[in-house]
Amino acid sequence: MEKEVSLFLQAQRGLFLVILIVLGLLFFAALVRAVKGPRVADRLVAVNMIGTMVMVMIAILSLYWQEEYLLDICLIYAMASFLAVIVLSKVYIGIYEEQHSEEEKGTKPDSRKEDKGV
Amino acid sequence: MSVWEWIRLLLGGALLLCGLLIFLIEMYGVFRLKYVLNRMHAAALGDTLGITCSMAGLMLLSGFHFSTLKMAMVVLFLWLTSPVSSHLLARLEAGTNEELGEHCEIYEELKVLEAELQEQRETSMQSETFDEEEKE
Repeated sequence: MEKEVSLFLQAQRGLFLVILIVLGLLFFAALVRAVKGPRVADRLVAVNMIGTMVMVMIAILSLYWQEEYLLDICLIYAMASFLAVIVLSKVYIGIYEEQHSEEEKGTKPDSRKEDKGV
Repeated sequence: MSVWEWIRLLLGGALLLCGLLIFLIEMYGVFRLKYVLNRMHAAALGDTLGITCSMAGLMLLSGFHFSTLKMAMVVLFLWLTSPVSSHLLARLEAGTNEELGEHCEIYEELKVLEAELQEQRETSMQSETFDEEEKE
């Protein structure tokens, strides 16, 4: 009986380890998208995906280490990543509008047009 | 008893692997599609279905605790917030891209689009009635 329980735990831990490794690889793929992404929205979408994957990773780790408090961190992480996307997109919309109002005034017509990423 | 434990492990593991597969599909879609507004479509897959499958598997594996409720809270929170952040990202892209017309059709006024849709509907209705007349 003792041996069977340990085998069960071993199977569970092996499954978690495999899933964690694959999620780590996907994490780096999303990071590549965030670096490559030609526009700001691309990068923000990649950051959003990374956030979702990290949430699953934290939840798996909380079962792997049998530490329940990690799930609280998972909840807070969800809120923080949502807030990050909201704030960053608002900030970029604000930057764009500011640049456009400057262009209309004619103060800096050409220097700002070069960074197309924004 | 231990048989039930093994069945639970198998079911939970299958759900977890299903979630992982959805994350893989999401990443494939994000690298395959060409434009942000298309990529967002693939990226929203993991936010809703991917994390739901994974968390359902983890809930099965962890058993019924208070922690199960926390996992459900995470899923519920993502269901509520993912559409909001997607909407804001789409607005950012549509508002700041000056060459948006190269990627998709833009209607300056909503009336034009509505008129076009109405026209399409009428022509399809006409063709349907035409087909029925032919059958008779």
